[in-house]
Amino acid sequence: MTEAVVADLGTLRDADRQRRRKTKQLQFVLGIGFPICLLVVWEILTRTGIADRRFFPAPTTIGTVMVQLLESPMERARIGADIVATFRRLIIGYGLGAFAGITLGLAMGLSAKIRYSVAPMITATFPTPKLALFPFLIVLFGLGDASKIAILVLGVFYMTCLSTLTGVTYSNPMYRDVAQAFRIPRMVYWTRVVIPAALPSIVTGLKLGVGQALILIVAVEMIASQEGIGHFIWNSWEIFDVPRMFMGLIIAILMGGGAMLFGEFLERKLTPWVVR
Amino acid sequence: MADTVTDALRPFALDLTNIRKVFFARQQAVEAISNVSLRIQEGEVVAVLGPSGCGKSTLLRILAGLDTDFTGTLDWGHVDGSTDKERLRSATVFQSDSTFPWLDARKNVLMGLSGLTLDRKTAAARADTYLNLVGLGAFQKSYPHELSGGMRQRVAIARALATEPLLLLMDEPLAALDSQTRLVMQQELLRIWAKTRSTVVYITHDIGEALTLADRIVVMTARPGRIKAIETVPFGADRNVIALRGEPEFGRLEVALWQLLADEVGQTLQQQELAS
Ligand SMILES: Nc1ncnc2c1ncn2[C@@H]1O[C@H](COP(=O)(O)OP(=O)(O)OP(=O)(O)O)[C@@H](O)[C@H]1O
Ligand SMILES: [Mg+2]
Repeated sequence: MTEAVVADLGTLRDADRQRRRKTKQLQFVLGIGFPICLLVVWEILTRTGIADRRFFPAPTTIGTVMVQLLESPMERARIGADIVATFRRLIIGYGLGAFAGITLGLAMGLSAKIRYSVAPMITATFPTPKLALFPFLIVLFGLGDASKIAILVLGVFYMTCLSTLTGVTYSNPMYRDVAQAFRIPRMVYWTRVVIPAALPSIVTGLKLGVGQALILIVAVEMIASQEGIGHFIWNSWEIFDVPRMFMGLIIAILMGGGAMLFGEFLERKLTPWVVR
Repeated sequence: MADTVTDALRPFALDLTNIRKVFFARQQAVEAISNVSLRIQEGEVVAVLGPSGCGKSTLLRILAGLDTDFTGTLDWGHVDGSTDKERLRSATVFQSDSTFPWLDARKNVLMGLSGLTLDRKTAAARADTYLNLVGLGAFQKSYPHELSGGMRQRVAIARALATEPLLLLMDEPLAALDSQTRLVMQQELLRIWAKTRSTVVYITHDIGEALTLADRIVVMTARPGRIKAIETVPFGADRNVIALRGEPEFGRLEVALWQLLADEVGQTLQQQELAS
């Protein structure tokens, strides 16, 4: 009953590796190459005057301005402080929100009474734009970091809480049947069946939460802050320094891209069994 | 294997009286099984044959204790009082894929043992033995998504067998396998049951398989499933799966069972035609 061993395993493995490497290379080349093509088109459009230079400075112009800005130690320190401020708020707000969301989501899965009491309220208030609550949060927490962190906590909390709840309640009923049929102890059932079964959904919530957090932080920094990337972008716009504004945008894009890469890394590490 | 003379004196493993199950789905009551009474002796292997949709899986879920919403009485006899910490009272092989996708084959089997009090070594040895037995010795570290449908089903079989259950419930366990592998598995099952003396309820749609494995065969009617006939299989212990097929009695019983079933299958199809 042993499965047949295929001859020449070495050759086959090499071929398989080569195929994978080729796909990777193609992914990389196109993934980088296509955006570069777009930038080239942009450059041409501004140089030929088809696009208005005041609003669409050429990529090379933005690059030059960025280099100039970064050469001044004072500007460097300012931008650094902005990035640090945004990061600090993001990490604290995201961490607290995710922790609270996952905890309550699991609690709702664990106890039907908790679910019945809390789930309708959370589902009903989920679509409320979190930004609408910002003035109220300022009243509660003041104009400092606390109100900005609070709005992040709120946004991330909803995303993770609902996706955890979905993961726990809509998991394959077969898992519960197996657990019951084999008298799997309750603790083992929770830690090694319910949570892993919900994990893909939880990770999705965590990823969505990153996007939500970035939107919220940039928005509130634009409205009410003296530092942070959102403020940097808004301030550049106010003084009509378009290339500087683009630089802020690029930083925001890099932060988002980095966060997404990190999310995908987490996904691969935490749920290696999910076929993607 | 059953010995008709002493049957009445042996302790029973399962006693069903007037089991009836009605599903209420979308304002419509569907009677799945009706008036099923059956006494199964300890160590007996009972096969259940019946047309698709006649309530076999429903009956098995009731026997497994997964569905308690039925009328009639169900007595697990000596199985219920068991204090054996190294054998499960009952284990189930489900009709559809029931492996945990986040656990590799070996951990899937070990998970089935988590309700027992086994030391690490014994548990590991059992996982090893039974995975080898179903021909997956080389795939212990493979995740379900890396296995074929038939291989996943064999993991589920190994998981159930490894608990060395007093009562083993199997729902078309070999349906996903090719006919050669199926014969090999049938022989293995016979060997294991002789060793562990489990009581077995074995659902199949394969008449030959029922004759090969069972001491008695229960034939069910089309929905609502009732017991139409019970055939005692005259082949003793020590069966050889291949040799058995050459016996004239095997062919005779096969034809008899086929005729019993043919009426019911015809009825099922007629029901469906009427419904549509
Ligand atoms: N959860 C459910 N809700 C409503 N009806 C159900 C449910 N489960 C089963 N049924 C009905 O009960 C009947 C018996 O189903 P069951 O799964 O027991 O059939 P089966 O004999 O195992 O069929 P097969 O051989 O195809 O597996 C079917 O007609 C089905 O429509
Ligand atoms: Mg079935």
